[in-house]
Amino acid sequence: MRQWFQLVSLILILAQVELVSAHAVVTAYSLKSTPIHAHQADKVELTFNSKIELGLSQIYLVRKGDKFELLKVESGRKQGEVIVNVPALEPGDYAIKFKVFAADGHLTEDVIHFSVS
Amino acid sequence: MAGIADFLDSLVGGFELICYSIVMGGLFWGLFVLRPWNETTSHSTVLLQKTVQLIYKGGLYLFGAQLFKIVLKIWLMTAILGRWPFPEFAETTQFIGGLTHASLTFLLVSYFFLFLRKNPDSKVNWLIALLVAFPMVVSGAWLFHAAGRFDNQGVLMSLTVIHQLAAAVWVGGVLQLVNLWVLRKDKQVSEQLWPKMLSRFSVLGISAVIVILLSGLPIALQYIDNWNGLVGTGYGNLLFVKLILMVLALGFAVLNKRAVTDYQVSANDYALIKRVPYYIEAESLVLITLLFTAASLASQPPAIDIPSLTANWKEVLNTFHPQIPQTISPTHSALLAGEAGRVAIIDQVPSIAATEWSNYNHNIAGIFLTVMSFLAMLSYVRKLALIPSILSKYLVITNYWPLGFVCLGVFLFFRSDAETWPLGPIGFWESTFNNGEVLQHRIATFLVLFLGGFELSARLTQNTKSKLPYVFPILAAFGGLMLLTHSHVGFQAKSAFLIQVGHTTMGIFSLILACGRWLELKLDRPGKEFAGFISVAALFQIGIILMFYREPLY
Repeated sequence: MRQWFQLVSLILILAQVELVSAHAVVTAYSLKSTPIHAHQADKVELTFNSKIELGLSQIYLVRKGDKFELLKVESGRKQGEVIVNVPALEPGDYAIKFKVFAADGHLTEDVIHFSVS
Repeated sequence: MAGIADFLDSLVGGFELICYSIVMGGLFWGLFVLRPWNETTSHSTVLLQKTVQLIYKGGLYLFGAQLFKIVLKIWLMTAILGRWPFPEFAETTQFIGGLTHASLTFLLVSYFFLFLRKNPDSKVNWLIALLVAFPMVVSGAWLFHAAGRFDNQGVLMSLTVIHQLAAAVWVGGVLQLVNLWVLRKDKQVSEQLWPKMLSRFSVLGISAVIVILLSGLPIALQYIDNWNGLVGTGYGNLLFVKLILMVLALGFAVLNKRAVTDYQVSANDYALIKRVPYYIEAESLVLITLLFTAASLASQPPAIDIPSLTANWKEVLNTFHPQIPQTISPTHSALLAGEAGRVAIIDQVPSIAATEWSNYNHNIAGIFLTVMSFLAMLSYVRKLALIPSILSKYLVITNYWPLGFVCLGVFLFFRSDAETWPLGPIGFWESTFNNGEVLQHRIATFLVLFLGGFELSARLTQNTKSKLPYVFPILAAFGGLMLLTHSHVGFQAKSAFLIQVGHTTMGIFSLILACGRWLELKLDRPGKEFAGFISVAALFQIGIILMFYREPLY
């Protein structure tokens, strides 16, 4: 019976799930005030609420049909700011999907939608 | 594999907090409660040995958990980034801080093993142990989420260290009381030790709670800047849950304190022997749940950072609004047809069928639980002979209420994850081990299915020594843990929070269910029946919440 209890406890402890750690969030992004124009490479500024480990983060451009393209990123001047280099785009709907590793050890995934006109 | 790695990361976080509490709470217990250098009689030798053993074993597990956490981070990043995360990971605070923290823990454990274990009567040894523990405690600050903040970073890190340490003193002390009771029950320690240690721990426990509140309040004010943040975000919600759990635990602590005071006045130890140990067991259950909730809270974005994603109190209240349960399900093909659009990033189309499928699952499960728990409440009324005997004869059927769990388990097996086997195209093993949420559903289904059988046998058995009745409260407590730490992916942040509110409320009721049943099994009359009734009434509340559940479309 004791072993059974231990087994049940183990199963139940393993049942603890937290699917997405999301401590780091985007608090501001330049797309809100400065839209991207068609056929023109541009930079998008994302401001996070936490320090981000850029070497361990990935930011993608998502095109129609959910096609992913890895983008080049660099640190901004302000704390928590990340500059994303966006290539020249045709008019249409796009998204920026990011997977970032925050300094507090949490990995966050999120999506920002935007349109190019 | 990322789902499993993330899943384990969260699990280890809670486990680490429990081990930390055993170590630090045990140290404070030794210094302020046990005070072995003052004891001249030999009756506490066994207690002393067991206490130190618990501390260094806890330390060893803590060290293991800290190392495992680093390995998990590497695994998680390899899975998510699709490449080996070094050398970049070696330069992060998490890697350097994590290794430093683990090394300092190992140093502390070595000290326990080499010195404190051999001479636990020495006051100097206990004080040195505290000194050796100090850098380990402080080094943990670089691993908190305060370390990633831009404002008041140092203050937040310091306050979090103090907050965590005070919580460890309380939880670790309560676990030491459980250890002492086990030894007393086995007649390995003198009977006088029990009231003496209870009385001494009261002072330490109250001090720890005061420090928890004093350090927690400024942290909360830094992360939550208005009332909406408290009621309308995941961070605020989990903080609220922590407060409720703390009040629950304090309720048990007050009962214990009163029993000790009564004993000091009357010298009657009845309550100290027949009730207090079980209140302490229930308190431990609540405190362990609180630690897992705290680990879960650390992964939520602070309310102050997401003002645009905060729900207002009306939206929160609306999630509990009574409505007609949905008893008609969309077809499986309609559900699958909407899945591609629902999970798309560009051109996302919300699936009404998916929302209705989920509403149906929750509402039907709610009907199962409401009917079962209503029958269970009737069975208690029958036991108390509050209804005429002629009617009572027909209510024998109410004793079989746990069979409802078996039916619920079968229902959940078919309905939980529509895209997976047996209804969907994704295979059983593939879905179970590639998706943490599906894995959780599978485990929950398995448990619910068997719980019905176990609980029915437990309630009908004539064997008074059977351990079977304890399965139900243990499963209910862990079920509550699952509900409190369960994330909801695929929704916008505000919607995920509104789903979370209902689930965390059910998590609290699950814990009340577990504690009530546990106390019913352990206490004497009339507390026994009262605790039992509270337990099934909590199950009834869970049923009601599920019956009115409505999932947001986005």
